[in-house]
Amino acid sequence: MYSLATIDYIIIAIYLMMMVGVGIWFSKRHSNFDDYFLAGRSLTTPILITTLISTYYGIDVLFGDSQLAFTDGVVAWFGYARPTYAFFLIAAFLLANRLKKEDFRSLPDILDKYYGKKTRYIGALASFIYSLPALSLYGFGMLGDIIMGWPPFVGMLILGGIALVYTLTGGFWAVALTDSIQFVMMCVVLAIAVPFAFNVIGGFDTMIDLLPAAYFESMGDLSIWLVIIYASTGLTILVEPTFYQRIFAAKSYKNVRNALVIGIFIWGSYDWIVTILAMAAKTGQIQGIIPMDVAPDASLLTIMVVALPAGVLGLFMAGVLSTEMSTLDSYCLVAGGNVAYDFYKPALKPDASDDELIQKTRWGIGLSWILGFIMATAFDQMLGLWVFMASILISSVLVPILGGLFFPKFHKPLAGLLSTGLGLTSTVILNIYIMTQGTFVEAEETYVLHIGSWEIFQEYLMYITLPISFMGFILGVIFGKEKHS
Amino acid sequence: MSGWEIFTWISVGILGIGSIIVFILFLRDLPELLKKSEKETP
Repeated sequence: MYSLATIDYIIIAIYLMMMVGVGIWFSKRHSNFDDYFLAGRSLTTPILITTLISTYYGIDVLFGDSQLAFTDGVVAWFGYARPTYAFFLIAAFLLANRLKKEDFRSLPDILDKYYGKKTRYIGALASFIYSLPALSLYGFGMLGDIIMGWPPFVGMLILGGIALVYTLTGGFWAVALTDSIQFVMMCVVLAIAVPFAFNVIGGFDTMIDLLPAAYFESMGDLSIWLVIIYASTGLTILVEPTFYQRIFAAKSYKNVRNALVIGIFIWGSYDWIVTILAMAAKTGQIQGIIPMDVAPDASLLTIMVVALPAGVLGLFMAGVLSTEMSTLDSYCLVAGGNVAYDFYKPALKPDASDDELIQKTRWGIGLSWILGFIMATAFDQMLGLWVFMASILISSVLVPILGGLFFPKFHKPLAGLLSTGLGLTSTVILNIYIMTQGTFVEAEETYVLHIGSWEIFQEYLMYITLPISFMGFILGVIFGKEKHS
Repeated sequence: MSGWEIFTWISVGILGIGSIIVFILFLRDLPELLKKSEKETP
């Protein structure tokens, strides 16, 4: 636990009360499901920027980027963060327009339209699993420990519980508006932190003098294969359910496109500042300002505690909480929508009223939170769990979604079913196999399976499961009898 | 001042000032958004 001043705790408490207040404010302002789930499809460019950025960047990015920058330097930005901007551009100019033309409400809606109900259910299951907030709750456990000295499960219950309350009560309106407050918090405090960090270590030139030259090489010491693996994590953007939800909630395609293009500059700046602050932490470690045994993923917080004065540190910690809350609320809402709109309505009650759907969405939000909590407390290796959850989504829905959007001739139910079904099944089997039969390598922070002289990392499995999904799609196109009407 | 440092200060400007501008534009749209949510409430 880091020592914070009273003013820091007051700032954090005010921030948390504001979030709950927004949820209560919106608790009785929903007339229909579209309003609760998509904010009445009325989001303009500024609110889309704020909600897209704050949702997609959780503390996994904050600590993940900073960890890599602390150990390897600017490659964290060039190799890990930068390729994702290309996927955002693809999404802005190729994907969003097609998605906005239809009256979709969720990602499985797309699968239903092109391939039928069975594919919808598999896609909804993949989306639900991916959206479980296990990693966010784990992050709250860590933050509760760092800020308040709480045991991890207390931090998960209190901090994660606050995000749950305003998501349950306020729906997407509350999520989008709290995202906006969280966006400005997380961006401004990070920008403010830079001069303080430089002041502590003696300026940027000191960093250049003390860090190894490889820290300033754009591809560092990483192999090209590892860079390709890191870069391909950006594929999630193309099937990210919270991203799709924001496209559907936008007022028009132009709003989405403009938000993404402007957002890339802010994303890029955010990633670069995180990279530089982590490198400043490394410099501070060499100078003896921060402890030699600091964990790489805790380096950013540690240098901030040393560098920031009371009050500013409270703002920074509130900004870190914002980063995670804005992620948890959005994923819980998507998971809740999967339960109500993608399972309950089509499978059990096609004539469900909007009030029923809102109620069932709230049940789904609660269910996803509880499952996420169980996973966050039960699993030791959260990174392995995250790789598993992300590859379930990519391997199940990437091929049929892109195939459906861009190749109308391939709208055959068998293609969707085989692609999603084989992708999901192979991902589950292979990941469980590597997580039970492989060994967890601390240095690589991943599960590794040894077959003869071969080493198979858990991250590589997607390069097996994605082609399996693709093969299923092709087989379905060839042998499928008729197009889905 | 090195190229890295210049890039860093540009990023600080985009992140700090850019996010505040976006937030101000959001506040400008907020009354209309709130009106819309009120209109849809029975």
